[in-house]
Amino acid sequence: MSFVSNLLLASVRMAVPLLLIALGELYSERAGMVNIGLEGLAAIGSLVGFLTCFISGSTWVGILCGALVGIAVNMIYAFATVTLCANHTVYGMAINILAPALASFIYRIFFGSGSDLSQITLMKTINIPILKDIPIIGPLLFSQTPMVYLAFLLVILTGFFFTKTQAGLNYRAVGENPKAAATLGINVIRTKYLACVICGALSGIGGAYLTTCYSNTYTEGNISGRGFIALAAVIFGRWSGGGILAACLFFGFCDALQIRLQVASVGIPYQFFQMIPYVATVIALTVIGSGKSGPKAAGKPYRKEER
Amino acid sequence: MRKGIVLAAAVLAVCALPMAAAADEAPKKIAMICDSSINDGGWGTACYNAMVQACEERGWEYECTDNISQNEYYDSIASYCMLGVDMIYAPGNQYTDAVLQAAEDYPDIAFALLNGAVTTPDEAVNGNVTSMLPDAQQIGWIAGAMAGLMSETGTIAFIGGMELDTTLGKYAGYTEAAQFVAAAEGKEITVLDPVYAGSFDASDKGIEFAKAMIEQGADVFFGDASAVDSGARQAIDEANKEAGEVKIYDIAQPADFLGQNECIITSQVTDNSAMIAVTMEGVENGDLGGETIFGSLQNGGLSAGAISDLVPAEVQEKYNTYIQQMIDGEFMAE
Repeated sequence: MSFVSNLLLASVRMAVPLLLIALGELYSERAGMVNIGLEGLAAIGSLVGFLTCFISGSTWVGILCGALVGIAVNMIYAFATVTLCANHTVYGMAINILAPALASFIYRIFFGSGSDLSQITLMKTINIPILKDIPIIGPLLFSQTPMVYLAFLLVILTGFFFTKTQAGLNYRAVGENPKAAATLGINVIRTKYLACVICGALSGIGGAYLTTCYSNTYTEGNISGRGFIALAAVIFGRWSGGGILAACLFFGFCDALQIRLQVASVGIPYQFFQMIPYVATVIALTVIGSGKSGPKAAGKPYRKEER
Repeated sequence: MRKGIVLAAAVLAVCALPMAAAADEAPKKIAMICDSSINDGGWGTACYNAMVQACEERGWEYECTDNISQNEYYDSIASYCMLGVDMIYAPGNQYTDAVLQAAEDYPDIAFALLNGAVTTPDEAVNGNVTSMLPDAQQIGWIAGAMAGLMSETGTIAFIGGMELDTTLGKYAGYTEAAQFVAAAEGKEITVLDPVYAGSFDASDKGIEFAKAMIEQGADVFFGDASAVDSGARQAIDEANKEAGEVKIYDIAQPADFLGQNECIITSQVTDNSAMIAVTMEGVENGDLGGETIFGSLQNGGLSAGAISDLVPAEVQEKYNTYIQQMIDGEFMAE
């Protein structure tokens, strides 16, 4: 396979966990919930996904449990910000501190402080006959794990939901003007809680993807800032499913590119290549980040009785 | 009045005696800090096991904090110092600044720095830092000789976590040994430029580096990158599985990890526990260090681990000959 084909494959591998987490944030922000606790949600999802897969031997159980723990932890954020009207940023950061520490604690409780490397069997790749043999596109789109197909499918469904369905428009109304939405009979509180459930589930799945579909070991700190990159991807993707997909592929591409350029380099300092993802992000957000902003009521507490 | 004071002093002295005796009998404590996980199946695991082994041999108690970030190095060390440990064990060159600072702030505690520089003990103002320094060139030789013998494609790879002096030393030794051995076999070896993940816990980077290097034709890997190495081994195992045979290999370090992954053909072993034990013995005798303890093939601090059956018998024989030459100081001497 060519350099380009392998580079694109690596980009997809590195983009999918970002995509899942960023889609979670999209559902959150569309309901006015700016959740910066994605890093923590993915961290706990990653650990629980690995742990349950290790115990059960099933990657699907790992994914499911990753989603459930993501929801459970995100309910802290939901209760604090929706019911108690607390500051979104503070509680998001609290999740980022609490959840990775909780993951570390659970790991030590289960595995002790021993030093054996625990490994699991990763989710199998599904090859779609004939289509997988198409040059470049074949391996990219038709020889992946089911989670990759689900992530891409989710992008399409998300785009459809937010733009083509009444439920999606009602959902967006909560993020734009919750009081107006409430006057139309939309249950704002329920929608916000639903957003937190979806965000927690997808962030947890994004974390679990890393340990059930990507790397067969669990390492503390394996999220490596993906939660924050996903947050940037939502802004970069202009709060749309397709835009977020493009942003995640772009971030994945930049990271994959720096790795491959390091390997291929002859005499160029590796630090130069390691800068690429960061420089590209700054440039992209500068060029594309201005203009249309996100949901109007994003990050603002909703108080029913308030005028 | 004077009698009373003397009596009180005598009572206090009598009371203090059992306490002092108990303090003497209390096991000494060592604390380890590590920026990677002790479950990483590589560097962290080996360093932790070495400490545990040394503690079991000498009856010490141990504590460990792993996965700490750079800004937590000093605070973690200082926390243990305040808890009253007798010795701090910092397995890595990257902890040098934090160790030197803490050694100045806590003069009654011994500090053992693995992979510290030769000059590090002299920089400690209180003379309480011991540098344990395995010979990086020889570490590279042990891996490079096997790589030179086993590579069929003529391309071998090296993955680093961070660009440390010791990492560069290992890469240099790996390169020269592989090229020397390959030349003796009538082969040419290309060693790909070292790559760096920028951390020791990014196993995903290890996967991607290994995949990219396999595409470049690399068929033997060596690394100095903790969990990143584990990721690389996963990618190698996957490539071998896809090919239906094991033709891409990995050389592990710094303990014997044969059997952990199918692709591991041998390991470079560093006897960290022996070096820690020497430092512990000094602490038991009231000596807080201030010297450099070298680990080499000659003094048993370094060795080659068990060899996989994937390595043909005649290659094993040649490899063992090279290792003996390294021990005898004859390797690459001509």
